[in-house]
Parts: sequence; C-alpha cells; structure tokens
Amino acid sequence: MLLELKGLNYKYPGSASDLFRDLNCQVTQPGFHALFGPSGVGKTTLAKMINGEIKGFDGEISSQQINHVLYTYNLERLPGWQSVQEHLEAVTPESNKGNIAALVESFGLQSCQHSRFATLSLGQQNRTILSRYLLQDFDLLIMDESLANVDEITKERIILKIKALFPERCFLYISHNVVEVSKFCKQILVLRSHHKDPQAVSLQGQDFRDGRALKKKELEHSMLEIVNVS
Amino acid sequence: MFHRRIYQFFIIYFIGLFGLMLVKYSLNLSDYVIPGFNEIWDTCRRYFGLYFLAVLNTLAVAILGHILSICMATVVGIIGRLTIWIGSFIRVAAYNIQAYPIVAVAPIIFILLGDGLSSRLLIAAMICYFPLLLSFIGILSEPVAEIEHFYESTLRMNWRLQVKIRAFENIHKLVTVIVGSATLAMVGTIVAEFIAANAGIGYSIRIALYQSDLSKILVALFLIGICTSLYLVFLEWVGMFIRKRLGSI
Repeated sequence: MLLELKGLNYKYPGSASDLFRDLNCQVTQPGFHALFGPSGVGKTTLAKMINGEIKGFDGEISSQQINHVLYTYNLERLPGWQSVQEHLEAVTPESNKGNIAALVESFGLQSCQHSRFATLSLGQQNRTILSRYLLQDFDLLIMDESLANVDEITKERIILKIKALFPERCFLYISHNVVEVSKFCKQILVLRSHHKDPQAVSLQGQDFRDGRALKKKELEHSMLEIVNVS
Repeated sequence: MFHRRIYQFFIIYFIGLFGLMLVKYSLNLSDYVIPGFNEIWDTCRRYFGLYFLAVLNTLAVAILGHILSICMATVVGIIGRLTIWIGSFIRVAAYNIQAYPIVAVAPIIFILLGDGLSSRLLIAAMICYFPLLLSFIGILSEPVAEIEHFYESTLRMNWRLQVKIRAFENIHKLVTVIVGSATLAMVGTIVAEFIAANAGIGYSIRIALYQSDLSKILVALFLIGICTSLYLVFLEWVGMFIRKRLGSI
C-alpha cells in the first residue's frame, strides 16, 4: 500500500455542510493515477490534505515509501526576473540537471527557453510549471489540472513521456476529462458528493503507454464506468 | 515624464498667481497685502540666487530624510511581514502610531535636539516614514501564493527570496509610494524649518512671513515647486529604470 486515506472527515471552517464524510481510498502501486470528480467535490482539498497544506481534519492519511509529496496547480507562475531556462537551471537539484534538456524537448519548450513566463501562452506556461516539478526529487506528484490549455497531441506526448521517464514514481492527476483519465491512468479515484456512500470509488483505467495497443472496447467500458459511478 | 510634471507645475503655479491678482484688482487691495507683478519680478531678481541655495539646502535634507525613511520602512516592513508575534506587534503599532499627527511631536524634537540639521532630518524622515511603512508592511506581508507555493513545497524558501518575490510583484506600487512620499519628505523638512531652524527655504519663508512680504513667499514657492518636481521626475525615472532592468515592463 503506497497511500491510504482512512475515515477522513472534513468541513471547511464556517461551512455548514461536510466536504468529506468517512472518506476511504487507497493507492496500491506506483504509476500514473487519476483523481476524478465533478467541480466542488473536494479534489483540490483532498490533494492539499495529502500534501500536508490542509491540517485539522479527522481521519488518517498514511503512506509507505512516499516521503516527499509535491502538489502543483495550473495557476502557478515563475518569478518575473528569470527566463524559463534560468529558472529551470536555478531550481533543479544537481542530480537532475542532466534531465533538463530532455524534458524541455519532450515538453516542446525549446522555443521559449529564453522567454519570461509572462510572455508565454497559457499552454506553454502550464508545461513550464509542470516540467520544473518533474525535475525535483519526489515520490508522489499531485498534478491539479496541470495540463489544462495544452492541446491534445502535446498532452498525450507529455503524459506518455512522464510515464516512460518515471515508472517507479506515483502521480495523482486531477482532471475533468473522462477520456484522458480512462485512457492514460492506471487507477482512477472517483470522488463523489458526501451524500453518496462510499464517497470515493476506485476504478481501473487503461494505463495506455508507448508500445502498448489501446483496446477501444475496454476504453469505452472504463469511460462508462466513470460516468456511472460519478 | 519630465515635461508633463514641469508643465503641470507651471499651470498650477500661474493659475494660483493669476487668482491672487484677480483678488487684488477686484478688491482693490494695496501692494502691501498682495504685491503687483513688477514687485514680484523685482523680488525674484534680487532673491533668486539666495532662495535657490536655500531650496537646495532643504531638498538635500528632504532627500536624506527620504532615504532614511525608505531604509527604515524596508527593515521594519521585513520584520512586520512575519506571522509570529513580533510581526503582528509591529503591524498594529505602525497602524496606531501613523494615526497620530507627527508634526505635533516636532516641538519636542527641537527641545531635545536643538534647531540644527538633525532635527530637520528627523522630522522630514518621520513625516514621510509612516505612509511608506504602512505600504511596505502591506506589500511585504501579502503572500504571492502562485509563485511562493513552489519554493515552499521544495523547501527552498528563505526570507530574502520571499521579500524579493513580493517586492518584485509589487514594484509598481512600491515606486508609486516612494514617489508619493518624496513630496511628504519635502513638506516635513519645510515644516521643521518653519518651526525652528536656522537654514533652508522654510526658514526664509518664516522671515518673509514676519516681514509680511508675499512676493518673497511667492518666489520661494516657485523654487520649491520646480525643485520638488525635478526630484519627483528623477525618482520616477529611477523607478522606470529598475522596472526595465528587472523586466517587469
């Protein structure tokens, strides 16, 4: 068991209703997993609880082999005084500096390496933000809509690259896109309203990766399952 | 920038001067109350050099006081941004003290320090310090979550980086506040010279006031306006240069 959430109860201060009521779920193995659910159901809150940014909740979050959790979201920015390249060089640990060039190429960031963050398109900004997190030392990376505003082809290339480069690490990808979570993710944690029991349901995705054939029937089945459950 | 400020000053000054003349001629006031153009021009020729040096003296003290208050506001702002007790103590103290009119404390400073440079400098610094401090504390204690999140998560954040991020993100506000407080520094110095000093344009105005010589005061006001405008233009230019260097414009 890599990550286990047991009996989580949480209510925002000042809020009348519970956000989580006896929430239980687990991530059992490394890989590219998804946290899926409708808006307002608590995906970001749950991510922040796992990351340790939100405290003061009932229940237990335990992990094995996960020492360093990082959480990234799509509204982050780089400091304005550095170009993309300068920033990546500055924030990448020595041991990972050799990966910068490969990651920049895979993420299609060569053309904007010398640009300031504010001058990039939204898609380039999201890719830059994600790339700097991938260059850190982490065991679990929670990606909160990190590939929003990125076109489908580039998005697929990036996800496949992440899966190829970091097979032993754990990712929790927050997205509203049923197709992409069904296609690329290994385990899909579907988060539902606290009125439903259980509040979190775990489903199997197709875990598509390079060199593996995609079975359309099974993909459709996964998508239907997600829609029915949520 | 330079032309705009000087034009603005000339427009305001001459509107004021024509307003005075309007009052003088419409109420048929004597030259003793409001002097005519000829007398003002004559005073200008006779006292321009003397008053110009006095304004430079005042401006030098105002600039020193301004620099002093910027340094103090930066240091206290950095401490005031802290979330521990000392930070909140400084924030509350700053908000409370700024509500008190600092000019009212000026006589105490003169009693304790006499009427030399140190009193003028201290009063100038104090008058422009609190508006600066409030802005600095506000800017430096406001997290820029979209940038700071990464450094916090990767345990890279330190106080220097935090101050750098917050100052950079608010560089426009900082420049505006610094330029705005420059006028206050000039006001503070002149007020100090009014109360009890032996140099500067405020001291010269005080003597003119005792002589009921409005033409001297008008000449002094003209020179104060020109020199203050030039100082503000200089500060705006420095702010623009810094923003260009940092790539924020």
